[in-house]
Amino acid sequence: MIELLLLAIFISPVIGSLPVAFAWLLDPKRSWARKLPIFAVLGLFISLLCTLYILFNFGELDERVYRQVKFEWLPGFNISFTFIFDYLSRIMGVLTALIAFLIGVYGLEYMKHDYRLGWYWFFFNLFTASMLLVVYSDNLLLLLIGWEGLGLASWALIGHWFRDDDEMSFVGVVGRKIGKLNYFWSPSFGAWRAISTIRLGDMPMFFAIAVIFFLAGNLNISEINWGELSEKVGSVGIFLILFAFLLGPFTKSAQLPFSEWLMTAMTGPTTVSALLHSATMVAAGTYVFMRLSWYMEPWNIHSAGIEAIYVLVLFLGLISALYGASVALGCLERKVLLAASTMSSLGLMFATASASLWVGKFAIIVAFWYLVTHAFAKATLFLVAGHLIHETHNRFCVGGKELAKHLKLAFIATILATLCLSGIPPLTAYWVKSAMDGVMHHLEHEFGLIPLALLVLTSAIYSAFLAKFLSLNFLKGEYHVKAHGGGRLMSLGYTAMVSLLPLILLLYLYHPDFHEFVAEGFLNSSLAVGGIVLFTYLIALYKPSLESPVGRALGDRLYLAFLNDYIIPALGWTLAKLVDYSNRAIDFFCHRAIPSAFGLLSIGIRRIQSGSVELYLRLSAAVLVALVAIAVALGVIG
Amino acid sequence: MILVLLSLLILTFAGILSYKDYRISLILSLAVLFVSLEFGGIPAIICFLAILNIVSLAVIRGNQISGVDYAMVGLMAIATIYAFITSDIAELLALFVVVSVPTYLLVMVDEGKLNVDTGIKYITFMVIATVLFIIGTVMLYSGYSWQNSAIYFFGFLLLLIGLALEVGIAPLHEWVPDIFANANPISVSIIASLAKFVPFIVAMKVIMITATELTTSALLVLAVFSAISMFIGNIGALTTQNPARILAYSTVANMGYVLAAFVAIMASKDLVYYAIAGALLQLFVNAFGKVGFFNAIKGGASNVSNYILCFSFIGIPPLMGFWGKFFIIYALVFSNYLWLAIILVLNSAISVPYYLRLVRITKASTPDMLTNILTTTTAVVMLVTLIPPTWFVELVSEVFK
Repeated sequence: MIELLLLAIFISPVIGSLPVAFAWLLDPKRSWARKLPIFAVLGLFISLLCTLYILFNFGELDERVYRQVKFEWLPGFNISFTFIFDYLSRIMGVLTALIAFLIGVYGLEYMKHDYRLGWYWFFFNLFTASMLLVVYSDNLLLLLIGWEGLGLASWALIGHWFRDDDEMSFVGVVGRKIGKLNYFWSPSFGAWRAISTIRLGDMPMFFAIAVIFFLAGNLNISEINWGELSEKVGSVGIFLILFAFLLGPFTKSAQLPFSEWLMTAMTGPTTVSALLHSATMVAAGTYVFMRLSWYMEPWNIHSAGIEAIYVLVLFLGLISALYGASVALGCLERKVLLAASTMSSLGLMFATASASLWVGKFAIIVAFWYLVTHAFAKATLFLVAGHLIHETHNRFCVGGKELAKHLKLAFIATILATLCLSGIPPLTAYWVKSAMDGVMHHLEHEFGLIPLALLVLTSAIYSAFLAKFLSLNFLKGEYHVKAHGGGRLMSLGYTAMVSLLPLILLLYLYHPDFHEFVAEGFLNSSLAVGGIVLFTYLIALYKPSLESPVGRALGDRLYLAFLNDYIIPALGWTLAKLVDYSNRAIDFFCHRAIPSAFGLLSIGIRRIQSGSVELYLRLSAAVLVALVAIAVALGVIG
Repeated sequence: MILVLLSLLILTFAGILSYKDYRISLILSLAVLFVSLEFGGIPAIICFLAILNIVSLAVIRGNQISGVDYAMVGLMAIATIYAFITSDIAELLALFVVVSVPTYLLVMVDEGKLNVDTGIKYITFMVIATVLFIIGTVMLYSGYSWQNSAIYFFGFLLLLIGLALEVGIAPLHEWVPDIFANANPISVSIIASLAKFVPFIVAMKVIMITATELTTSALLVLAVFSAISMFIGNIGALTTQNPARILAYSTVANMGYVLAAFVAIMASKDLVYYAIAGALLQLFVNAFGKVGFFNAIKGGASNVSNYILCFSFIGIPPLMGFWGKFFIIYALVFSNYLWLAIILVLNSAISVPYYLRLVRITKASTPDMLTNILTTTTAVVMLVTLIPPTWFVELVSEVFK
């Protein structure tokens, strides 16, 4: 039973996408081939049903309970296909499958006229299946398969419009240059930036997993004895292992300084952005960190190395969050703004989860529920953005009240999603954010009020740019192009998505598990933060744009692209040149220097042959004398 | 011993009779050698080599001492065979002279006029070499008997210089390229083949008889000589276009390989057998190869035979040249002379281009029949080791008990 269920979860999306994939390979022009994506969505739906079954039928949903399912893989190495069904994976699985399904429905209309449907649906569903594999696997090697599947699929999807012929799929103002650098990115370049950044983190992660296997003899996250491991390798050792391992999540979840790929990942179809930014890919990084902390229980281990790692994650997360929020504030492209905001949220998730070292499991739960809330809201906003781009044929935030009238559902969904995500009391994210405030407040003994201050600052900016997004697109945008109708299926997608946010709100308010969230929400300090957030929201709503050099610099992402596109390539080219020079040196030595040296030596040796017996005899006499000297020396020693 | 003296007498007689008719000498020499084939495995090979030498002398039968030359080769062969058997130092020294002197005459032999210049040059060096060799041996033995280390080392090094001059080990190889290039190829082929055995065997036996704990440090000097000889030989041959010069430097290099085997003298008995087997195989490769190549230079030979000789010199398995080097390297590695083994391997690599060039240069469109047969025979000898020559090591262990 369980085997079939698991098989259905991972295989059905892929199988569902095969008809359209093969049809496209054979003959993409037939109109019937354009109807086949329905099977792909059906595959996603089957996956969703299975995850729902797992959520509701695997016993009580409790933080301490988990169920493991093992299938033999490499028994000689103690490696098996191990799946885990616990608090995190059961909810995360449903979240992934549900969002993927809703986006799939939306995509049926959004991608209707695309020229590469086979490619799109195959990789879209592979993306989902890979994420589900990451979610449910307990074994690090199995997880790595899903992890690499995410990387591959994201590359394929970000570069979906590989012909680079449509200005609408670019990121940045086409033709713009800063210094020598082209400050705009095509889909194929975006895909390359994504895969190259991710591989940079995957390699150390892979080696870290190998080291963990070597030291612990086990790859199941829930079974590895981390305390013993950290004692075995010492503080520096465990720091290095965890740091190498976390480079995978850092790059996947686009933490500083690996954030650039996420911004240019917007060159892919909007559906891809929506999926990539809510439940898959970037969430995978934070999810893996949460899962690791969940079973590592760092609050029970006393190791300076582990503590150092968690401090690093905390501040890296908070600073990435602040950076992402600021960039989003300055950004004018719809999708890039949302991308930066995702980075910001991911930073908050990392920071909150890392606080578990001091606060305990509660911090992870807070981070996880923030992930859930954020996923639905962000998916909604992306789907709306996609609809807007479709309607206005513009990537930038433009549009006025007429657009709001024309796309009422989109307007309402945006209002709801921004309000729920920014943390305005008493809406959904407020309760999670309050709990987050509480967690950061706990760190006062360690770091003073710095974490809390960074969080509040980030929240304020966050809410401001969400309001700006709403205002510029529906209320006070500079102009708008006459929109054309349609988009019913698209509307259905984001309406369904956003309607889940009130449901989660009800869950927070009435489910006993969340009483701590509610308690935190009624604290004065939390209310004060809520007030600040509301204030910035209203200001931004009233005055969404402000021309300033600071804003422009933020909109250019503080020129971090230079690191990705200029400094690192320059290092690479330097390295390549070095290799080239050493190649030439080797060539010179092997083909010129050594042969000619031997040639000269050879001629030199033969030059003695003058034919003069006298010379030869003198030479022999010289050798004789030299040897007599040696003989005397040896004799004395002997 | 009596048998040897008898052979020597017959050969002398044959030499005298050859003034009547050179064929008498030819027949008598060959007869003596065929009789000597019964002495055992290694002497048989020596006899075979001598027969090849005699037959190749038939190529220049119009020379001044035609007839006597056959008898002299026979003389050298008998002396070489006896050198394997005896271990009396006086006898060994006598045999050294017996092998050395006939070459004084042979080197001057030519079809036209006598090669006096070359002969004088050669004789000068050989006389010095013989003198040093004999003095060295006597001092070595004295130093050994009196347990005087200074005299021992002095004798050892004089012996080494004598040997080096006699066979052409660098840096005392200067006469070799000159003689090889200027003398008649056939007479050089005898100097380069049959004459090389006795000096090495005598030197090795003398050193083994007089071995003390001092020998170990003395062998270090010998190893250095060997390395120098390999390098000078191989690098010297690398760029020359003259086939006789290539073979001259090849001889210098090969003498270096053989000398390298000496450093295993102080090792365990098994290793010594391998070392001697390697040295002898290498000497045979050198001897047969030189006979083959000089005949090819003289009258031409088939290209296949030339390539087989060339590959054997380079040391490609399963040809004899491979096994010679292989046994030497084996002995070197296990007697803690790894560096010398590495140098030997490096030198084998350096030698590849010039041996291949040699084949290209000596290529003849219409080879002379006799030289072709001789070269082909030597090439066939290189194939003897298709059966891995553990049998050869056994032969050696029987001879050197």
